[in-house]
Amino acid sequence: MSGQIQSFSKLFRDGLWDQNVVFAQLLAMCPTMAVTTSGTNGLGMGLATTAVLVVSNMLISAIRDFVSDQVRIPVFVVVIATLVTLVDMSLNAWLHELYKVLGLFIALIVVNCAILGRAEAFAFKNGVIASAVDGLAMGLGFTLALTTMGLVRELIGSGTLFAQASLLLGPAFSFLEVKVIPDYGGVLMMILPPGGFLVLGGLLAVKRLIDQRVAKPACPAPAAHCA
Amino acid sequence: MQLTLENLRERIPYHGALLGFFTLMTSAALIGANLVTLPAIEQAARDDLKVSLLQVLPEGLADNDLLADTLSVVDQGVSRTVYRGRKAGAFSAAVFDYSARGYAGEIKVLIGVDAAGTVMGVRVLKHAETPGLGDKIEVAKADWIRSFEKKSLENLSLPRWAVKKDGGEFDQFAGATITPRAVVKAVKEGLQFYAAHRAEISGEAK
Amino acid sequence: MNSPISTALPSVAASPHAKEFSSVSTVMLKVMLALAPATLCGFWYFGWPAISLWLLTVASALAGEAACLVLMKKLVRPALLDGSALLTGWLLAMSLPPWAPWWIGVVGGLFATVVGKQAFGGLGCNLFNPAMVARVALLVSFPVVMTAWVGPSGQSASPGLVESLSITFGGSIPDAYTSATLLGQAKTELSRGVTLLQTFAQGLPVSFSGQRPGSMGETGIVLLAAGGLALLAMRIISWHIPLAMLLGIAIPALIGHAVNPARYLDAGAHLLSGAAVLGAFFIATDYVTSPSSRAGQLVFGAGCGFLTWVIRSYGGYPEGVAFAVLLMNALAPAIDRLCQPRIYGRDWRGNPIKLNKEK
Repeated sequence: MSGQIQSFSKLFRDGLWDQNVVFAQLLAMCPTMAVTTSGTNGLGMGLATTAVLVVSNMLISAIRDFVSDQVRIPVFVVVIATLVTLVDMSLNAWLHELYKVLGLFIALIVVNCAILGRAEAFAFKNGVIASAVDGLAMGLGFTLALTTMGLVRELIGSGTLFAQASLLLGPAFSFLEVKVIPDYGGVLMMILPPGGFLVLGGLLAVKRLIDQRVAKPACPAPAAHCA
Repeated sequence: MQLTLENLRERIPYHGALLGFFTLMTSAALIGANLVTLPAIEQAARDDLKVSLLQVLPEGLADNDLLADTLSVVDQGVSRTVYRGRKAGAFSAAVFDYSARGYAGEIKVLIGVDAAGTVMGVRVLKHAETPGLGDKIEVAKADWIRSFEKKSLENLSLPRWAVKKDGGEFDQFAGATITPRAVVKAVKEGLQFYAAHRAEISGEAK
Repeated sequence: MNSPISTALPSVAASPHAKEFSSVSTVMLKVMLALAPATLCGFWYFGWPAISLWLLTVASALAGEAACLVLMKKLVRPALLDGSALLTGWLLAMSLPPWAPWWIGVVGGLFATVVGKQAFGGLGCNLFNPAMVARVALLVSFPVVMTAWVGPSGQSASPGLVESLSITFGGSIPDAYTSATLLGQAKTELSRGVTLLQTFAQGLPVSFSGQRPGSMGETGIVLLAAGGLALLAMRIISWHIPLAMLLGIAIPALIGHAVNPARYLDAGAHLLSGAAVLGAFFIATDYVTSPSSRAGQLVFGAGCGFLTWVIRSYGGYPEGVAFAVLLMNALAPAIDRLCQPRIYGRDWRGNPIKLNKEK
């Protein structure tokens, strides 16, 4: 049992940092570039994706014994697309206020290759519970990456943090909304697609730098190699 | 040969049957979900429309259900839906949408007028203008869109229905003239449309 | 390009070699000399604000370069003194609105060398022209400030030193001074349905003296062209890119204007306005970001010119040189591949030429 807990903590470590969907695997670039114009948008997209990822991982894992290798990809695609459509419909019908905020993102989840990627790389080979944990970990890692990117772009681009967060999370979270720089003209490029690429490049460099710093003590190779 | 799941999975008919099964199941799930959610989704869309219609009409101008009192007006070959407001049964207001080409595609505005054709309110329904520059036409970003209120073709002459740069009444934004110009044009043409079809819309033509 | 390495090597014996003392810094120095008259003319036209903006932009470009070199643990002095960062900042300053606020110069200068150049690995490794990368980034980020032009006034009517400092550091240009560039005016008027014939009924505001609103690289056209010709004479650049680029703008402009003068500006207006001349002689000819074969340079220059005309005529922005150069920069490696010169003794496909006796 402790081995299982250990492996779960490894899944979380992978999902949040080592194998992070955006910062390590560089998957799901389309939603990453498109929606990270603010911290709130990144958070919303991340949470919606996490929900779909958990359910799709569980479903794929449950049916993995029946599905032949040769036709697994079309089966995954059909299952994931259906799942996303179901989420889209039910949110629209019963949680309409939330749908008005997240609606744009949900349709985008279909084209998120991270979901197909996890189905193929993990859920198809592992049990239901492990797949659910993997989905959660990967989804949270994705959320972390998108929120960070959104916050950086928002801060430089419009001088605010978590603008309109209360629309997404409810009025209780309006304390998150900060106007960091008053009377800020804004750097339009950061909100536009080029800003996404610039910020992603910068954050990738930061992650590499941290990894390098962490790995340094365990690196007995010549110093020139480490530098 | 023994018929186990392992060697069955390798057979082509099994592949076909599997794909067929999944397509069938997912389609069934979608049909089911559609049936269940459709009434709620339609209701939500109606509520949304109602909220936006009420935004462009001041409180107390109409006491009827605008969604239930609509009229299709054909203007220059285009059919437009006009929502009619009534107070104590008498025609008192009209709400309709109109659009013009902005800097980046179509800008669609919802215009509310009183019976005489004075603007009660304007809201942008849809646009793709540059964020931070052209999006000041949204009421959430700036109050500019309110500058149309209380204006009409009577109290503002036709040449004055333009941005200040073109010798008109309305402010342009720093660095963005095309966007406000398009919105002004949409509202002006909307009012002209209303003026041309006023009798038909108010129902007095009978 | 003659890199400094070639002078450092012991004499290589083979083939006839022409020997000339040439290094990165001498090339850069000659380019700066060619650029100096037009810059001084720009200072004269636009006064103190232009001078302080130029100083800030160049200083920021140098600071960005130095900071990156320190971070990458490279030698700072030789790379900083070769003049390439200074020239990058200089070219950027030439393309900015001369009365732009101080932070435009600082952000632009830093962006040019840090993101446009050092992030790619420094001199010789950058895919895109750093000055144009920075100019486009500024234009996309701050469209309002980057399109606030002023007319040249000459030193007599221009603001004094104190007022100038408040323009550069205080942020806003007094309304009385602002005016539109020719290309900007044409685009705005066309967008509201006024034809060019009506807009410019008084005649085009074009003159060879360059006495009209624009960047420092837009005014003083004659001096810029003279500087470009001097570069040609000194053999710093070859005629291929400048000629191809100017023709690439002029030919479509001639055709367009002949077909519909109410919609398209004529060739003269296109060549004399915007950054056409500056771009053709000083920007598109950058060794690092342009093709190296002669045929490739012709294709590259023509592409820059044609794209400039397309963006000016149909695009969302009034001026297109920076965008056109960046787009063609991205194509430069592909152009070099497609326009390889024939190898001696081989055919165009690289196969050995068959000797007659093998027939």
